[in-house]
Formats: sequence, structure tokens, C-alpha cells
Amino acid sequence: MTDDLMDVVMSVDGATVSARVRARLLLSDFLREHAAAGGVHVACGHGVCGACTIVVDGVAVRACLMLAVQADGCAVQTIASLPLFEAGGAPEIDGLTRLQRAFRDHHALQCGYCTPGLLVSTAKFLAEFKSPNRAQILDHLNGHLCRCSGYANIIAAIESVLQ
Amino acid sequence: MKPAPFRYVRPGSVAEAVGLLATHATTGRLLAGGQSLMPLLSRRVERPSLVIDINRIAGLDEIEILPTRIRMGALVRQEQALWSPIVHRDVAGLAAALAWVANPVVRQRGTVIGNLVTNSPGAELPAVAMALGAEFVVRRVNGEEIVAAETLLGPCRGLAADAMITHVLWPRRPAHVGFYEVARREGHAPVVSSLVTLTGEDCRVALSGVCPTGLACPSVARMIAQRLPRVPEVAELAGALREDLLGSVYSDAYSSARYRLEVAPVVSQRAARLMALQIGSA
Repeated sequence: MTDDLMDVVMSVDGATVSARVRARLLLSDFLREHAAAGGVHVACGHGVCGACTIVVDGVAVRACLMLAVQADGCAVQTIASLPLFEAGGAPEIDGLTRLQRAFRDHHALQCGYCTPGLLVSTAKFLAEFKSPNRAQILDHLNGHLCRCSGYANIIAAIESVLQ
Repeated sequence: MKPAPFRYVRPGSVAEAVGLLATHATTGRLLAGGQSLMPLLSRRVERPSLVIDINRIAGLDEIEILPTRIRMGALVRQEQALWSPIVHRDVAGLAAALAWVANPVVRQRGTVIGNLVTNSPGAELPAVAMALGAEFVVRRVNGEEIVAAETLLGPCRGLAADAMITHVLWPRRPAHVGFYEVARREGHAPVVSSLVTLTGEDCRVALSGVCPTGLACPSVARMIAQRLPRVPEVAELAGALREDLLGSVYSDAYSSARYRLEVAPVVSQRAARLMALQIGSA
């Protein structure tokens, strides 16, 4: 079967990106190849690890579980837009948002591969649940694999920014 | 891996979607939340020639209150149902089960109906739909019919290739509920899950992961109801469960049939205990 080519236009971190793409192109690959969004990390490629988590029209989604053509006409935000959607507007210090500083200060990352996806979904999670309990934080972290940290430091970083 | 080539269409109405299904019955696939289908496409387990994206069909994302039922459209997301006060009040068993499904990001995109119709062995929701007596609105080019969840998700009959489930209907039945599951990793498909609900004297039990499809367990339910406010012993529940089994017990590379049969009564007892605690504190 030959590939079906389709035109898509979307906003990626505020810039308009248009391209003619294969219908089967995953949104994660589109963002890296056509929008130079290197902060979209691709790891498992089938929705298990959470590394490619982005925001589409205000909702956190896994970019590998959407087709690029499905985001036609949508507003996509990656880790590069974190200061815009992290709760409280997050005045930047050292070029980092409050959540990013918490991750740094608690050693919540080592290799950093899972970190952009974690920051994106955690920022959206905290925007919705202002003061989550430990069980809710663990439910949230179920969506992310981190093979370095053992999660304890990630939990500590998240709890440090509450209220 | 990446998906094999396919054509992509984005119909604007249910009529258009079922029309496309009718002409591509064996090779067309509906795409809603994509949290089950997209991994299958990427792993090339599924290789449809046409992907029919229903995400922009208007009106399918509503949770409506009917006189005796709650009606959910095919685009109602799992997270939307989980946090719906109507669902909590009238279909508490569904809300209890949804809290154990995946994680918030997946639930925000994944749909209730998509999870049901994928009907993976072990999945929580199909068993819950069967035990609670949910029904599906099944649409085809030549009309619409209402089919019981137990019929459509049970071992005998699947969904016709040219049919689309547009809505699921849940009986409105405020209940005390308990839900428990054992999974290799929380947030992933359970080995066995169990829902126990009680409305008046009407006790229902749903088990997933014991048979290849979900299982409603009337004998287990009867025993739990009789013993309240106490909870039956595991050995007694195991005996009752044997009466409810339909055909062979499921096994896969991770959990043998024997292990599942050992875990199921334990999980049921814990779910029953959670329900009994809820009654006690009411």
C-alpha cells in the first residue's frame, strides 16, 4: 500500500508549522523532524514511558499515541513552553521555572531523558490538582518511567512545590 | 516500530463514519482516544487500510442523565467519567474501577467506550460493564440496536466489523462499592481485578483476568450479600467462584491459570471488605 500524504498546519510552541506528511506519521516524530522540537523525547514509542508527553489544546497527551494529522489545526506545546503553562506563571530564575529548580535541587534527574515529559505532565497535573496527596502523586507518576532516580527524588521534588 | 501505511479520514458525523465502515468493513478501524489502537498500529499488530478518526464528531463527548440510565458518548474520556459527579452518584462501580485504569495522561485521552470495545483480557472496565448490566448503542448503516454488554463483550459474540458503538448506557443505581486489583505494575493491566457493589439487596461482582473475557459472578455475589456485615473466607469465595466460571481459565506468559484462580478469591475478598467498610461508615 502506498503512503497517503496529507497537509497539516499546527502551532508548535507559538510558531506555525506546516508540512505535507504521511498519514501514519506519529505526532512525536513530526515534532522532532518538522518542528525541530528536540525536547520531545522518544523512547518506547507505544505509550508506556511518558517521555514524549506534550500538551495539545491544553491537554497533556503522549505524542507517540497521536498521529500528526490528528493535530491538524491544534495548538501544541512542548517543554519549551513550560513557563507558559506551569501553574502560577513561574517567574524564571537561572532560566528555570520553579518546577525545574525543584527537580534540580532534589536531584530528581540523572540522565535527563525522561525529564521533559515528566515536567510537562507534572506541570499540567499541578495546575489541576493544587494540593494532591501522595496517592494522587503516585497515580500521576504511574505514567512515567525513570530508570535512574528510583522516583523517591521525583516525589520529593513535586512535594516541595506544593502550596 | 512505526505504523504500516494506511489512509486517514476524519468524518464529521456518525452517519459518515458508519458509511465508511460499511465500505471498508474488514480493513477499516475507528480511532477514538487511540490509547489502545495506536500501540497496536505502531507494533503492526493491526494493519488497517483505513483509519477513521472520530475525534471531531460533535456531540459524542457528553455524559447525559436519562430517567433510568446514564448515557455516555463514544468520545467521553476516562478522566472525564472518573471526575463526573453524576457517575460517582449513579454508577459508582465504574468510577471506582476507572481510578485503577492507567494514569491521568492516558485517561485524559483514552475513552470509556474504546477501553470497553478493545476488551483486552484482564482489563477492568469490560467486566464492570457486564456485571452492572450496561448496554451499548450499536449503529450500522441500516439502523441502530441496543445490545447488552454481556452479549457483546462475552465469549460468544464480538462487534460486527461494520458497526460503531456510539453510546454506552449505564443503569442508574446508587451503590456501595469496593474495588481491588493485583497488577504486576500499578496502572497497568491487572492480573485479576474485582468490583463488588451493593444496592439494597442487589449485590454484583465483576472479575477480570480470570476468564479471557470479563466475568459477572452471581454465586460469589450471593455469598457476599448473605454474610454482610462480615466478609466470607477466601476458601468459601473460591468455592463460589467455581460455580461462576464459564469455560476455561485465562493464562498468559506472566500469570498461569492456577495462579489467577488462587488470586481471584483473595482479590474478591479485599473488594468485599472495602465495600463493607464503606457501608459501615455510611
